[in-house]
Amino acid sequence: MTVGILGIQILGILFGLFMIYYVFLHRKRKELTIKEYSFWIFLWILFIILTLFPWLLNPIVQSIGFARTMDFFIVAGFMFLIGSLFYIYLLVRGNQKKIEEIVRKVAFEKK
Amino acid sequence: MKFVVIPAYNEENHIKQVISETKKYISNIIVVDDGSKDKTIEEAKKENVIVLKHIINLGKGAALKTGCDYAIEHGASQIIALDADTQHEPLQIPDFFKELENVDVVLGYRKLNKEMPSILKLGNWFINKITKLLYGITLHDTQCGYRAFTADAYKQIKWKASNYSMESEMIANIGKKRLKYKEIPIKTIYADKYKGTTLIDGIKIVCNLFWWRLSK
Repeated sequence: MTVGILGIQILGILFGLFMIYYVFLHRKRKELTIKEYSFWIFLWILFIILTLFPWLLNPIVQSIGFARTMDFFIVAGFMFLIGSLFYIYLLVRGNQKKIEEIVRKVAFEKK
Repeated sequence: MKFVVIPAYNEENHIKQVISETKKYISNIIVVDDGSKDKTIEEAKKENVIVLKHIINLGKGAALKTGCDYAIEHGASQIIALDADTQHEPLQIPDFFKELENVDVVLGYRKLNKEMPSILKLGNWFINKITKLLYGITLHDTQCGYRAFTADAYKQIKWKASNYSMESEMIANIGKKRLKYKEIPIKTIYADKYKGTTLIDGIKIVCNLFWWRLSK
């Protein structure tokens, strides 16, 4: 049981480290501002800390009624993913509309 | 003023023929090149008609909207939409304008024949039934792109879809705005079986029909 949890923790830490490297790479390519960079680095460090010491979340997890921290992670993860999906959907829709308007404007001007 | 709008995507082999045939019946012709990768735009320009170019491919709905908006800006009172792949015969343009004197929208419908691919027949039948169920409009063919409408009607049926769903969205808007419409039979030639509405487009159209019913 302990080995299983440890395995998940190792996976989580590796994932967190990979994401930090990914964020760092994009900062080096100047694709992220210093604010964005700081925010994402903070988020992934927090993710690694919580993976290493899940008991830190015990007060929150127990007060909400979850039996295990892992359950809390899964539910919170799903909520975050669905929220992100909706946000990205709106973003893509908005961008599509803007692109269409620009293309139409160019078509009219370059007639 | 009467205008014909021809959205075109990679139609270098057909566009010249379509324009020269169309010229016999109307002088105001707008070709919208929807980001073609071939020589569609060069071929269209040889015919001395209005040519608008989308710098990237957006889809038939967006291209037709660009053409219609341009026509309206330049004083169009009646507009005909025609496909660029020789599927629609310009010979019938006068019939559309004649019918448009009494209604807001004239819709062409393809007579079922052996040339029409079976998947298209089945898809059309299904979409027609859904359209009747949701919007109370009985049509022979909801997916035919040969259509004519008045400038006032265009403002009411203006679609948001940038792809092939626009044909269904237009029908949905006709139903919701309770516009007067008429169908006329057209002869269709299937020049390219790999272009036009696909099975996936059909599924998207059906989903959209339900969505438009609920959302507007």
